[in-house]
Amino acid sequence: MKKAILSILAISALVFSSCDRIENENRLIFSGAVGEWYDGSPVEDHTHRALLEKYTGVRCVNCPNADIEISNALQHFGHSLIAVSIHDSCTFTRPYEGDPDMRTPDGNELSHFFGVFNGDYPNALVSRTKKTTGEWDLFTPTAGVDSHVEPIVNAPATIALDVTAQAVDNDGNITIKASIEFLESCSDTLALTLFVMEDGIIASQLSKEGKINGYVHNHILRDIITDWQGTEIKADGNAGECRYAIFQYKIDTTLWNPENCHIVAFVSNKNTMLVLNAAECSIE
Amino acid sequence: MIKQRSNLRTPFVLCVAILACFSTPTFAQGILGGHVTGNIQLDGQISRRDTIIGSNDVPEKLLTNARADILYTNGDFSAGLRYEAYLNPMLGFNNQYKGQGIANYFVSYKTQDFAITAGHYYEQFGNGLTLRAYEDRYLGLDNALFGLNVMYRPWKGVTFKGLIGRQRVYWGMGEGIVRGLDGELNLNEIVKPWEESRTRITLGGSFVSKYEDDETILSEISGYKLNLPKNIGAGSVRLDLSHGGFGLQAEYALKGQDPNIMNNYIYRTGQALWLSASYSQKGLSANIQAKRVDNMGFKSVRSQTGEMLYINYIPAITKQHTYAFLSMYPYATQSAGEMGLQGDFMYKFKKETLLGGKYGTDLHINASLIRGLDSTIVGGRGTEGYTSTFFGTGDLYYGDLSIELAKKLSNKLKLTTTYGYVAFNPIVEGHAGDIHHNHVVIGDLTWKINKKNVIRFEAEWMGSDSHYDADIDDKRCGDWIMGLVEYNFTSAWFVSLSDQYAYHDGIGNYYNISVGYTKGATRLQLGYGKQREGIICIGGVCRQVPASNGLTFSLTTSF
Repeated sequence: MKKAILSILAISALVFSSCDRIENENRLIFSGAVGEWYDGSPVEDHTHRALLEKYTGVRCVNCPNADIEISNALQHFGHSLIAVSIHDSCTFTRPYEGDPDMRTPDGNELSHFFGVFNGDYPNALVSRTKKTTGEWDLFTPTAGVDSHVEPIVNAPATIALDVTAQAVDNDGNITIKASIEFLESCSDTLALTLFVMEDGIIASQLSKEGKINGYVHNHILRDIITDWQGTEIKADGNAGECRYAIFQYKIDTTLWNPENCHIVAFVSNKNTMLVLNAAECSIE
Repeated sequence: MIKQRSNLRTPFVLCVAILACFSTPTFAQGILGGHVTGNIQLDGQISRRDTIIGSNDVPEKLLTNARADILYTNGDFSAGLRYEAYLNPMLGFNNQYKGQGIANYFVSYKTQDFAITAGHYYEQFGNGLTLRAYEDRYLGLDNALFGLNVMYRPWKGVTFKGLIGRQRVYWGMGEGIVRGLDGELNLNEIVKPWEESRTRITLGGSFVSKYEDDETILSEISGYKLNLPKNIGAGSVRLDLSHGGFGLQAEYALKGQDPNIMNNYIYRTGQALWLSASYSQKGLSANIQAKRVDNMGFKSVRSQTGEMLYINYIPAITKQHTYAFLSMYPYATQSAGEMGLQGDFMYKFKKETLLGGKYGTDLHINASLIRGLDSTIVGGRGTEGYTSTFFGTGDLYYGDLSIELAKKLSNKLKLTTTYGYVAFNPIVEGHAGDIHHNHVVIGDLTWKINKKNVIRFEAEWMGSDSHYDADIDDKRCGDWIMGLVEYNFTSAWFVSLSDQYAYHDGIGNYYNISVGYTKGATRLQLGYGKQREGIICIGGVCRQVPASNGLTFSLTTSF
């Protein structure tokens, strides 16, 4: 009998404790990742930056040469060029045993969308431009990238973009703030895309000379915070108007090194995918 | 968001296998000391386009709802299953029912003091303010829980119930997990000196909690989402007291913060109070009920709209009218907030009195009044939402009065006359418009020709201040007349003819003919005619029914 009473009391206590109460001050939490926009302050830096998306793989023998060319270009263009290395799931990207896996589902989406998948590697696209024939202006970056970057960075920006990221705690939670200023009036539908990047990943890399152990991989796309096609920037923008949004994200600290992570942001035309401007920041 | 994980159509292999063996004709009864019972129902419908009443052609030509319940019992053990088929669902039933399969299966062991059920089960705590898992096939509603249900009576007069499970939603399961405990004390059985007392007292209490994972619900402030409670509880206490012909029942329930789509994601707690007092003696009964409901919609999935996945049930305190025009405006319980009062009085004038005449006269008066809460909005999504005064009332939602006199005129004739009044605010059905005020007069004459032949005549009139408006398209508006003749013959057959006609300020002429045949436990019914679009409600829970024009049939049997 005593046991029965104790059991009932224990079950009752368990069930009664199963009721959450959320006080008024805790009912709202930041969540900009759904693309909620509101008016913001002007962006000081009006630099037009190019976004270089390189499709690469650890079993691609020419890819280290592309890395050299991109590294040179980054030195040449400085902060006007932002590089992203994308690993899709083709045969060239399968990691060597014991190495970190740099393939991502989002990388696959991009690779398929731009017609790279299972084609030539390395392959690159700058600011998602198209040829006059309407095809994506993909090129092999081993022969240099400057001629693709220069027309972009030399043209005046139509959108100014700034991004900052701050760590909220030691568990990988970060807050990302993106600011956009319309430098020209725009009636197109625009989208903002946020990439999580990681530098300094050590993994074997095949080259013409053979397998290079301990190769350092930089600018690796780890995840896309927004939809891979970007989150829509609501409302048309007149010149001088600003938009501002806050995003929350949690870095996977079990697989990535948060100290080597940074954020890449870019604004593109939702329909043509043309990148209008890009920005990057470290996580403070 | 409707989240459907497991599929009800997945057979509960053991249960099905056992029942499949046992339900063959050879084993229809007396299998291994047990026996198999069941019932089958098949309803069908053929409807075609009618621009006046607004019915459309049915692409499938034939729509059917079918079900078969099979139960095997062997002493304290029982197991059952229900096959359902909606190929495709009849008009008015949610299209998500489309399909067929085993929708319900369970095994159960039950003794006087202990019961356990695994699988699908139905359960109710008290009046249902915190939990009522039930099904109503005519509403297309099934809130069955799938999990474990235990009942235990450790001592005489003490009953505990405990359950855990997830709720059925069409052919899937809601994501939320429901846990519940209920305790009931019958004081007359516990306290020995009270055993024979005329005063009977039962006390009860229950607690129900649901768990649901987080999801993104945006705040009204840009860039923020709601911090949603994952565990939400509701508790209640109740009393059932009687002394001779007097009775008093009361239940009060409280619900924790439960932001959901029904309350626009506000954090206000909910509460409900239900009271019922009654008196009865030979030839007289009176009952008065009251309730106050404030933010008590409680579902196992916060973003689920419609009638599915309700954990609790708010009892209706309006009369379930049976006559056509009085039931034309049924009241749908407003779990968001309402206050109501109902009185019911029945008296039999004795034989050989002025009003009783030779055979006596039955008088039945019923009245109910439901109003909204007196509330003040203090914020939107993510806030307390509103405040309300406990005794204050808001807009009129529904009111009705019916006075029914039933008198046997002779050995063969019985006449029932009814006057009814209904005031109905269309806001309770979610659309705007003025309050409808309807007066209804009904005459119902039953002529028992002989033991096997009975004819019933029914005439109804409804005068309304509502006018048909094509923009709102409420086809119940206007003034109506109706006639019905029903002939039951040879105790097995019946034929019924009826017509409802909106003769002024309304639209539609709805004629119907039905034929039915009953033999033993089997009943077959065929009907042809027009069905007005509208709402049917059972116990305050409602279903929208679109217009139809065509043939209906129904077959029910049990074994």
